[in-house]
Amino acid sequence: MEAIRYFLFRSLRNMASSPLLCSAAILTMGVALAAVGVFLLVVLNLQNLTKDWRDDIQVVAYMDKVPSATELDEVLQKVKAFPEVETAIFVSKTDALQRFTKRLGEDSDLLTGLRADVLPASLELQLKGEYQTRNAVQQVADRLKSELKLEDLQYGKDWLEQFESFTTLLELVGVVLGGFLVFAAVFIVSNTIKLTLYARRDELEIMTLVGATLRFIKTPFIIEGLLQGILGGVLAVVILYGLHHFVLKDGLQVLLLTPAGFTIEFLPREMQLAIAAAGAFLGVLGSLLALRRFVRI
Amino acid sequence: MIQLFNICKSYSKENSALKDVSVHIQKGEFVYLTGPSGAGKTTLLKMLYGAERPTRGQVLINGQNVTRLRRSRVPYLRRQVGVVFQDYKLLNSRTVYENVAFSLEAQGKKRYEVAQKVYQCLKKVGLEHKLKSKPLELSGGEQQRVAIARALAVDPLILLADEPSGNLDAEVSLDIMELLKGANARGTTVVMATHDLHLCHLFPRRTIHLEAGRLVNDSMP
Repeated sequence: MEAIRYFLFRSLRNMASSPLLCSAAILTMGVALAAVGVFLLVVLNLQNLTKDWRDDIQVVAYMDKVPSATELDEVLQKVKAFPEVETAIFVSKTDALQRFTKRLGEDSDLLTGLRADVLPASLELQLKGEYQTRNAVQQVADRLKSELKLEDLQYGKDWLEQFESFTTLLELVGVVLGGFLVFAAVFIVSNTIKLTLYARRDELEIMTLVGATLRFIKTPFIIEGLLQGILGGVLAVVILYGLHHFVLKDGLQVLLLTPAGFTIEFLPREMQLAIAAAGAFLGVLGSLLALRRFVRI
Repeated sequence: MIQLFNICKSYSKENSALKDVSVHIQKGEFVYLTGPSGAGKTTLLKMLYGAERPTRGQVLINGQNVTRLRRSRVPYLRRQVGVVFQDYKLLNSRTVYENVAFSLEAQGKKRYEVAQKVYQCLKKVGLEHKLKSKPLELSGGEQQRVAIARALAVDPLILLADEPSGNLDAEVSLDIMELLKGANARGTTVVMATHDLHLCHLFPRRTIHLEAGRLVNDSMP
């Protein structure tokens, strides 16, 4: 216990004795982690956005002839039994016209005088999350054709193809850019810590000369790295919060061409904690790597 | 206490710092290590506190073979060997007290033991009134006295001094010599590298003379 107190005291005193270096290390870590955080924020919101788009994926089967109530029940039961289907709704001709009228809003006058059966009745199928893919949609469409003889189907085949290539590209860019940012953060942080240790190389040398063990020499520096890392991580979250609040919230909305009602979210609590933890990890790792270089007995 | 058997140290094929040096130093001896710059004095001292390992030969300190010592055991060797350098090697950001306490803290001594010992040692070198000063506020001689206090604080079996008065004027050098002699009188084996022959004449002791890495003379006064 006394040893822990002693090491903690030495770490804090070291930090206090070179405030400039210490602040530089915390600031560097904060900025590096905030860069990774901004990227996470963009990826997270893009994911939310594509999830919204995916939720819109549906298969619509238009029916030439309105089925009787018993026939409809039978069709709905069959369709609901498809493993891919989450919900199946029958939209009658009247419902379709009502929807259309509502959608036209002020221009709904255009529809005056039209017969109620001008639009076809349809079956709208919403798919389960894991089946919101091009292949699954195609499979559902094929089954509707073969088993229920529904020929007039609409499921945005071309749009789905484009959407999938877009999300694949997004994932690829995410991995490459994210990997690069993390690598840059590790590189910058470990070099900053190296600089702070370089400034104290005399102290390290003297410690080895007076018979200090490696544990005695390294522990305070590792604690220092840990504390600086945590502070850097917290600073990164604060920077991110500021950026989100003042810039990204509106900026991303414009950049991502988000639909109305979609808000740019901040990182969830777990991710904020993960950034602080990443800071702590980076601090310790950076200190260990730098100490290997500067402490030689 | 110190036994060197056929020590050779080469940094490259053409560059040999020490060539076949064998020396035995008894417990409680005071020995000068003399020779011109580049003769191998510092390299030899470094071997005694485990900072260098010989290319060939064996080094025994108090019966322990330093040549085969694992790196993790080197700190424990250094706790038996105090070292004083020409450039003092003090931490300028720390006070005199902290500099001396450092070596004791490194050995895991309790806080009250450290305080007591530091005061005793600083008193021995006549600097007990400068506890709170920073090294750069002291003269060269005073800084070297702090370094000696730090080396002696751990009660070393051996005290190695590498040109301890190299940066000091003649009068201050004599003070430093008195301190080293005092430590020797209390039983510490002292090995002092110097090229100040005047000091050797003033305080005649066993002298080991090195030239171009070879031991050329080992003489008693």
